[in-house]
Amino acid sequence: MAKPANFHVVIVGGGATGAALAHDLALRGLRVTLVERGEVTSGTTGRHHGLLHSGGRYAVKDPESARECIEENFILRKIAPGSFELNDGLFVAITEEDEAYLPRFLEGCEACGIPTQVLSREEALRLEPNLNPQVRVAVRVPDGTMDAMRLPLRFLATAKKNGAVVRPYTEVLEVLKRNGTVYGVRVRDHVTGREEDIHADVVVNAAGPWSGKIAAMVGVDVPIRPSPGVLVAVEGRWTNMVINRLHPAGDGDIIVPQRGLSIIGTTSWVVDDPDALDLPEDHVRLMFEKGGEMVPVVGKAPLWAAWSAARPLVGPRQAETGRELSRTFKCFDHADEGVEGFVTITGGKATTARGMAEVTADVVCRKLGLDVPSRTREVVLLPHTAYYRL
Amino acid sequence: MSHSKSYDWRPGPRAWWDPRGRGLGYWAFVLHRLTGLGLVAYLLLHLWMLRLLARGPDAWDAFIRTAKSPLFLVLDGVLLLGLVYHGINGLRLTWLGYGRVEERPARGVVLVLGLTALLWLAGMGALLLVVR
Amino acid sequence: MGLKRVFRVFRYKPGWSRPRYETYTLDLPEWATVLEALMRIRRDHAPDLTLRHSCLHGSCGTCGMRINGREALACLVKVQDLPERITVEPLYNLGVVSDLVVDMPAFYEKFEPVGRPLIRRSEYLPQAVPPEGIPHFTRLESCIECGLCVSACPVAATDEAYLGPAALAAAWRVVEEPRDARVWQALALADSPHGCWRCHLALECSEVCPTGVKPGHAIAALRAYLLTSQAVRTASPMGEAS
Repeated sequence: MAKPANFHVVIVGGGATGAALAHDLALRGLRVTLVERGEVTSGTTGRHHGLLHSGGRYAVKDPESARECIEENFILRKIAPGSFELNDGLFVAITEEDEAYLPRFLEGCEACGIPTQVLSREEALRLEPNLNPQVRVAVRVPDGTMDAMRLPLRFLATAKKNGAVVRPYTEVLEVLKRNGTVYGVRVRDHVTGREEDIHADVVVNAAGPWSGKIAAMVGVDVPIRPSPGVLVAVEGRWTNMVINRLHPAGDGDIIVPQRGLSIIGTTSWVVDDPDALDLPEDHVRLMFEKGGEMVPVVGKAPLWAAWSAARPLVGPRQAETGRELSRTFKCFDHADEGVEGFVTITGGKATTARGMAEVTADVVCRKLGLDVPSRTREVVLLPHTAYYRL
Repeated sequence: MSHSKSYDWRPGPRAWWDPRGRGLGYWAFVLHRLTGLGLVAYLLLHLWMLRLLARGPDAWDAFIRTAKSPLFLVLDGVLLLGLVYHGINGLRLTWLGYGRVEERPARGVVLVLGLTALLWLAGMGALLLVVR
Repeated sequence: MGLKRVFRVFRYKPGWSRPRYETYTLDLPEWATVLEALMRIRRDHAPDLTLRHSCLHGSCGTCGMRINGREALACLVKVQDLPERITVEPLYNLGVVSDLVVDMPAFYEKFEPVGRPLIRRSEYLPQAVPPEGIPHFTRLESCIECGLCVSACPVAATDEAYLGPAALAAAWRVVEEPRDARVWQALALADSPHGCWRCHLALECSEVCPTGVKPGHAIAALRAYLLTSQAVRTASPMGEAS
């Protein structure tokens, strides 16, 4: 029987997905090298609003994502203690129409296993005095806030401790392929300026919105739509709980308190090149307007920063806004298209990165004929500072 | 990424004399260092002058006459300014060192500068009276 | 496109005897930040330009650098607020690994031993009542470990062993709100020869801090605590045992 240490896996992409995958594979005993073009988490991962999803947002329309979220939410609390602001979240109904959505929302949450507590207007305002006083009803869910960079750093730190090699500022120039089999990557180390080949038994493409570009290097097509959204941070922490709008997913339907800031998210459109993201002025204005509907003082708070981030959504090329695309993830074994030794993992979200990694590592191990289970549900992660100390 | 390989990028003692682009607290810090060194230099000069006492009253009287020249008066003015600033700012630093940092520390520096100016003007007035 | 700016960017790679500055002229949209400009320089002109960035809103603390001689998070500095020529350099006092990337291990070497827990009691909205099951609202500590304060500090400029404003501010947080951290350990570090007594209270660290930690204020508070409370003696391990 083959030993895990006999195999070397190269992961392309140092976001949450790549980080969790490096951790999972290293824990199973495989040799792992992760390469990332820039600093780790510099692509999409670091830019999200910092929500530890309860899954409530997807409970009605996208139950698969919702189930993943709530399951991972509880696992992350266990394996990454000290990383979250665990103040729960509220879904607030402001209009009659919002209130009419309540039964469907509760039903969806129930079906996905998301714990809920319905709160009256008075109860909601006692928890969050800055809420729009016109709030009609609110639902409490186990949302939380995370530091978007530090959680993946904990995965990477633990991976490094288990022998994984993490190489930021190392860009993939070419995916090496011979007779239909991928056997490594050619990279340029932007610190030393050197080019080198890194050989691998399996190369995993975890490049998020850039995964289409990486897949194109071996001539396979990944149905990935880079779907940017605008986020706005305003000065001041105006709530302690995450505030969501109780209605179907739309623009500006969430406020995530984060340290001394409040983050309002988000919009959604689709682009071809994730390296050229615009920051449309009207989207920024919309965030203030929509955020202000839930928490009026947020709509009037001074702007701290506005930025765009590209989600790596899986879906058909003809998608237009990205809202119709599922937030779940997909793992492609490109052997199905005649390319051996090459796997793409994409879609998903920071909250579900561990689960995505488990599924992907299972695929990798199956390809290598290994039968080692994932242990990432139990192993408590090292602190983020360890990433820099190891 | 071991730091033995990294490039040593620190301003060194230049940071003590270069307050460009910095806040008022930093200017106060630089002034404090400069006046501190100035006072040490003056102390050495002062000891050197006292040596004249050993040469008898005539040498001393001659020195006192020079010391009353306009040039020396200007130098005395500069000395007094440095002395007053260093002293008052030193009191401010002691105050800060007991945790009394206000939200806008720049105000303390402005206060020090104001007091320095007042005391210096009073001191210069007294000095000119004595000389006359 | 409306903003034309000339960027002088510090470049350094291992093996070079000294850094050099390269100049890039950019046409930027109105909303562009210095970080956006640097990302475009990397995309369009210098693919080997290394820099750190992640969150783009001053929350991760990776894009700290010296912009026209002053420490800032590049993602929070709007290009339109700057003059036509913009000089970008790495942070001082940590050592440069490559271009704008400084040696963060050097930062954490001093920061980590303080042992500050990351989650604190939220001080916002004191009138808010937390829901059942949550004893009190919490939030992440304000310090984002960006290193701006260490770069702006004139003492760190000459004393390599100085604990530095970030670590001392973290020590003060341990004293202020110990949670399960070892207070005596934080105080012993602060009271060491390279601790809070080295500070000369220029308070530039408080000026450049992007998240309101105000390390200079914290250092002054530490000194006062050590001066007035016999803190080290009572908080020492022996004191704890007795």
